[in-house]
Amino acid sequence: MISTDPWVWVSAFMTICSFTLLYGDNILFRIGEYTYTCTVVAHSVVTGIPTITNYFYPLFTGAKPLMIFPLILGIMSIFVVWRKYAWIASFPYALFIGVGTGLTLRALVMTDILGNAQTTIKEAANILVGSPADQLGFAVRVIFTISATIYLFFTLFHKGPLSKPVGYIRTFGKYAFIIYLGISVGNGIMQQSGLATSAINRLIRQWLGL
Amino acid sequence: MSALRTYIRSYMVRIIIIIGILSGLISFYFVSPEAVAVATELQTWNSAAAAWTLFVGIITVFARYVRSIMKRTQYWQYRAYGIVLMVVWVIMGAIVGLYSDLYQTAFYSTKITLHIAILGQLVFFFTSGVYRTFRMKTFRTAIYAFFAMLLIIGNAPWMLATFPQVDKLTYWLLENPSMSGERTLALTGGIGGAVLGIRILLGLEKGALRATEAS
Amino acid sequence: MIKVPELKSQYIWAVLLVVYLFTAIQPIGAPFQMSDATIKAHDVIESLPPKSIVAMGGSGVFAFDLESSAAQIAAIIQMARKGLRLVAVPLGTEAVQFEKYCIDAALVDKKFGGPWTYGVDYVVLPYLAGGSAALVSFLTSVRSQVSTDVKGTPIDQLPIMNDFRSYKDIALWTCPHRDFPIIARYVTGERGIPSIAFAQAAAYSLYAVYMMIYPDKIWMTNGFLGGAQYEDLEGISGLGHAAIDSYAIISAVVIAFIVLGNIRLLSTLGDEKEEVKEEKV
Repeated sequence: MISTDPWVWVSAFMTICSFTLLYGDNILFRIGEYTYTCTVVAHSVVTGIPTITNYFYPLFTGAKPLMIFPLILGIMSIFVVWRKYAWIASFPYALFIGVGTGLTLRALVMTDILGNAQTTIKEAANILVGSPADQLGFAVRVIFTISATIYLFFTLFHKGPLSKPVGYIRTFGKYAFIIYLGISVGNGIMQQSGLATSAINRLIRQWLGL
Repeated sequence: MSALRTYIRSYMVRIIIIIGILSGLISFYFVSPEAVAVATELQTWNSAAAAWTLFVGIITVFARYVRSIMKRTQYWQYRAYGIVLMVVWVIMGAIVGLYSDLYQTAFYSTKITLHIAILGQLVFFFTSGVYRTFRMKTFRTAIYAFFAMLLIIGNAPWMLATFPQVDKLTYWLLENPSMSGERTLALTGGIGGAVLGIRILLGLEKGALRATEAS
Repeated sequence: MIKVPELKSQYIWAVLLVVYLFTAIQPIGAPFQMSDATIKAHDVIESLPPKSIVAMGGSGVFAFDLESSAAQIAAIIQMARKGLRLVAVPLGTEAVQFEKYCIDAALVDKKFGGPWTYGVDYVVLPYLAGGSAALVSFLTSVRSQVSTDVKGTPIDQLPIMNDFRSYKDIALWTCPHRDFPIIARYVTGERGIPSIAFAQAAAYSLYAVYMMIYPDKIWMTNGFLGGAQYEDLEGISGLGHAAIDSYAIISAVVIAFIVLGNIRLLSTLGDEKEEVKEEKV
């Protein structure tokens, strides 16, 4: 039984608009494209309303009078859209860059650099420990990580006394990356397939009631 | 006077950046409740100020669309529709609220449905793409195609139902060779990010946005 | 050798469309195996004592995160059944809608669990702007970032928020979003809070890096398959099952096209060799 819910009809229309791209550029696709763009932008504004209420509620109740400073900085940040007055936005953006960089620096060092290096060393120590699958796994991790890292570090190849062995390791690292990309792509198709299922099911089951 | 203003602006920006960076680092690496309090306050200010940037998008898009409609450029009709949609959407959202069922239904039926359909279409482009590109003409392509196929088959219910051990192989591939590639990217990306952060701290980086350079 | 013609993309798309339409109209109910990874993630939530506060949050895009919703919805049903409490912490602009979608789809205030009551058993906080800065200050002191919920109610009027002051009150963090790395770094890495990533398939390997750095603190499920497995563990059937159903055939179709492409390559190799010989002559 075909749906009588107007939102299901809107949803079906949008799905069809999007899928018409498979045929080629057309009016329906453009409608879908502009609907997408405008709802994203408008949604940001609608999200901003409770967000700002949340942050500045303590200012208006008197609980946190210092919130006047981020209020001023926030309004200054909007000036980025005007070329002539964009310099006003440099102060809040400096705060965003500074705070963000400080947090990112500490997280990258602790987790991404030291954490990964530490884990690779631990795995190297475990190459002869555990079941054959585990041992092979640890060996693969260590060898692939080191060779792929050398491949990235020596992307611009330097000639010298160690150039030949480094060259071989680089080549192996390149293939390690190819294997990684192949596995990622193969695993990722499940996501795309599932989303296509969701879209088409909406048309067939929800809209047409089949 | 203008040169002095520029000088003061430029150094104020750099001082703010340095204070921001140091607050995050000192509060983590030193045991100091005062430093944690200052850092938390700055992070709150950062969030509260950043919330206002949510309105930057609509101003920019609005201005561009109005210019386009006035000059009757290509697709101006769609932009007129876009402006009407944006206004109606903001008014609806402000009245019914972000967490209301009506807003959720409207958002899901339009933007989310479109996005899901766009992403879902990728499987069509992916399939026609692999038909052409996964032709094992070279060793490199053969390796790439082989491992991709291994994972496609490894996640397939018909394979898992017939050979349950394939599940262990799939996870082994994901957690060993594939994870190693990601680990390398995380390691080298982390080094790059840390170097960039230090360069920003030392004032060696020019801001990508006009606004971060007080000029 | 038989010459295989080069297929136009439109023919390939048409075949795929027919397959999807078939599975939409006639679900095949493809069986699938349970994975240890999903069982481990399920057991972590199962082991939490009642009234524990679980945070659900992160930053991502709704459409991408839909793949994670299958497992997250099943996990919310599990949390309601176990008498846990949920705080939704959206760190992305679409995360508010996505987390509402997961909670609504779980029907925990109607069908499953207690039923759950808003403000007592679960709460949805407003969007926290600023990414990692918002997350870090939120973890240090919840009230530094949050003074109302997403509906505008002051948090002092919500009973659940009386027990939630900082990261020390969080028993577990679940992330059904794309941006799990910031959760891994700041929630698990810096503060030791265990976390579960309901990972999208394309991001599994990326999150696995953090799983190796913090073993026994990070668990993951793998995309729609993990979602279908989690649904099975909770005895429900949702998007995960539907996605795996169609994937059962799509996977075979994709493999078939790859094989066909390689047969086409083999059939034209002979022609290329002849062309090369003719050029030499």
